[in-house]
Amino acid sequence: MTKTWYSDLPQYYQRQIKAAGLDKAGLTRRRLLKGMAATAGVAMAGLSSRPSQAASQMTYMCWEGYNDPRIIDPFRKANDVEIAFDLIVDSPGGFAKLQAGASREVDLVSSDMPWITRLGPAGLAQELNPADYADVYATFYDQFKPPFEPLLNEGKTIGVATRWGWVGPCVNTDLTKPEIWKSYDPVFDDANKGKICVMDWGDWPILPMALHAGIDPYQELDQNALEEIRKVLRAMFKNTRTLVADLTQAQKGLLDGSLLGCIGAGSYLTSAVRKQGHKNIIAVVPEPKNGLKQGIIWVEATAILKDTDQPELAQKLLKHVVSKESGHVLSLLDSTCNVVTNKAVEALYTPEERDILQVDYMWTAWDNSQMHRIAPNIDDMLAIWQEELAAAQ
Amino acid sequence: MADEVPRSWRDPDLLIKALPTVLLQTTCFLAPLVMTFLLTFQRSRNFQLQWSWDLWTWTDVFSKPHYWTILGHTIFMAAACVAICLIIAFPIAYGLATRFKAWENEIKVLITFAFITDATLKIYGWALFLDKNGMANYTLSSIGLPPEMVAFLYTDWATLLGMVYSLSAFAIFTLYLSISNIDRSLILAAYDAGAGKFRAHWEVTLPLCKPGIWAGSVLIFLLSVGAFLEPKVLGGGKSPMSAELIRQTFETRVNWPLGAALTLVLMVVSVFIVLLFSRLIGLKRAGLAA
Repeated sequence: MTKTWYSDLPQYYQRQIKAAGLDKAGLTRRRLLKGMAATAGVAMAGLSSRPSQAASQMTYMCWEGYNDPRIIDPFRKANDVEIAFDLIVDSPGGFAKLQAGASREVDLVSSDMPWITRLGPAGLAQELNPADYADVYATFYDQFKPPFEPLLNEGKTIGVATRWGWVGPCVNTDLTKPEIWKSYDPVFDDANKGKICVMDWGDWPILPMALHAGIDPYQELDQNALEEIRKVLRAMFKNTRTLVADLTQAQKGLLDGSLLGCIGAGSYLTSAVRKQGHKNIIAVVPEPKNGLKQGIIWVEATAILKDTDQPELAQKLLKHVVSKESGHVLSLLDSTCNVVTNKAVEALYTPEERDILQVDYMWTAWDNSQMHRIAPNIDDMLAIWQEELAAAQ
Repeated sequence: MADEVPRSWRDPDLLIKALPTVLLQTTCFLAPLVMTFLLTFQRSRNFQLQWSWDLWTWTDVFSKPHYWTILGHTIFMAAACVAICLIIAFPIAYGLATRFKAWENEIKVLITFAFITDATLKIYGWALFLDKNGMANYTLSSIGLPPEMVAFLYTDWATLLGMVYSLSAFAIFTLYLSISNIDRSLILAAYDAGAGKFRAHWEVTLPLCKPGIWAGSVLIFLLSVGAFLEPKVLGGGKSPMSAELIRQTFETRVNWPLGAALTLVLMVVSVFIVLLFSRLIGLKRAGLAA
């Protein structure tokens, strides 16, 4: 007689399990959790007399925006699937959560590319066969077609790039000339004391400052290089009016003129304000300094988790997220607007939308930028940031 | 009436009665605290936890002065908040308990509403009010004063303003309770003995308010050291306090062992300060009970 997962239970429970059909399904932790979630869902829906009838459930960990109903609803209806969202507020936090065990419940994840790539060596993400995504890649910009090096782990593709943008000074052209921001020098100008905003977004403000100091933060750094970064951060804090983590605070400051420039953000910050009609707010990329590109390109990517029990649906959802229609929605959200990796989306943009997204500028930004990856000395740089911030007070 | 028998922790009846509380405290407070403590003996490298079982994190905490600079700043801000809250709260509580009896309930409702309004809403409200183009500067400039006269948004003063605004209700209500419970005949006796209003207030009312002052101070102090939103939104993040340092360490640096260690340091220092002050002001347990 074959031993089942429930054969050690009393006869009564065994009969109940058989009656419920759980013996054939096989009860895994994932299925149990999803079953519990579904039961809870049905209970909640019962309150509103609208029971869930979807054939399957999925969990999608993503940034806000990827869960936009205009993206998800067509997929949900077409595939008869209920999708639960686990919204991330920062990439390291999302990664830590997956590593702490959430990978057992999550099927698909959309996050910053370095963190998606990291899912590979962490043993959390499925390796993708680019041939399976040939239809998707066919409409991609050449820059993101495989082999797209930043998304490779030991030669294997970990995810598919979805959305991207650039990091550079964000300024109000009514108050300052973009030409002045061909370098980060205005950040340190005494005339701009108390007018600089720094985004409190982990490594994002540190990396441009390192580049300004002539140091490539994406290389292994020695103590001298770290000391140079310390000096440039110290100088930056002298002119800093505020550190903000909230996008809207920075946007408001740029609009009302209380802030001259924002460091550590870029198109991610400016595009939503531009969508509101404020075309005077732009994100520029400084020119290369001594051969070192000063801008940074950020890319978001989507990966399928290894433990998914819905591999086919997860693949379908991934393809759906990077499709032309979803890409158009994803690039013009209310909270933020950013270009996507699917070239076909460009055909859907109106001239106004192209202007909002600075489409005509995006390849200039690309050419003058580094591709964002995990900086090897990020721990040291963040520790220096904390020390200099404390010293600045 | 039978004399009260002193209860001993060896008393089985007492032990059984205390068991639920002990279990609750152990599982909900002590166990997480022990886990937090154990976490401090691990390391974090490239955003990943490494089970190392060494003193690296504690060495880092005790060798880097900036953690202590921020902690010192936090304690200073919390102490300032306590002092300002008490100064503001005392006349309000005194008035409520003695002079404005007719509107007592209405005033209490108003204070409660302000107190229970969402903290985020209140703090962002202040940020908008104090903004360069906010109501404060607009009002000042409309009466002919120079623009941007109110320029203390993104300063420690703004942080303090937010903290006092959020926490002063604790002082108002604890003081109000103390003042309400004062036996009026004691104050009248002081007058009969020749004391003036100020002396009666200083030597009778104020000492009798000690439990209220103390309870309010402890509440405000402990909540102040954990202040997070005010330094970030009103203080502009340039002058972080310990809660923000801990958040940065957990979230941005993803260094959980260091975050755990900084949390424990903040807890221990806060409790130490509270105990130290309770000893300094000579507040005996019996006094508190009274």
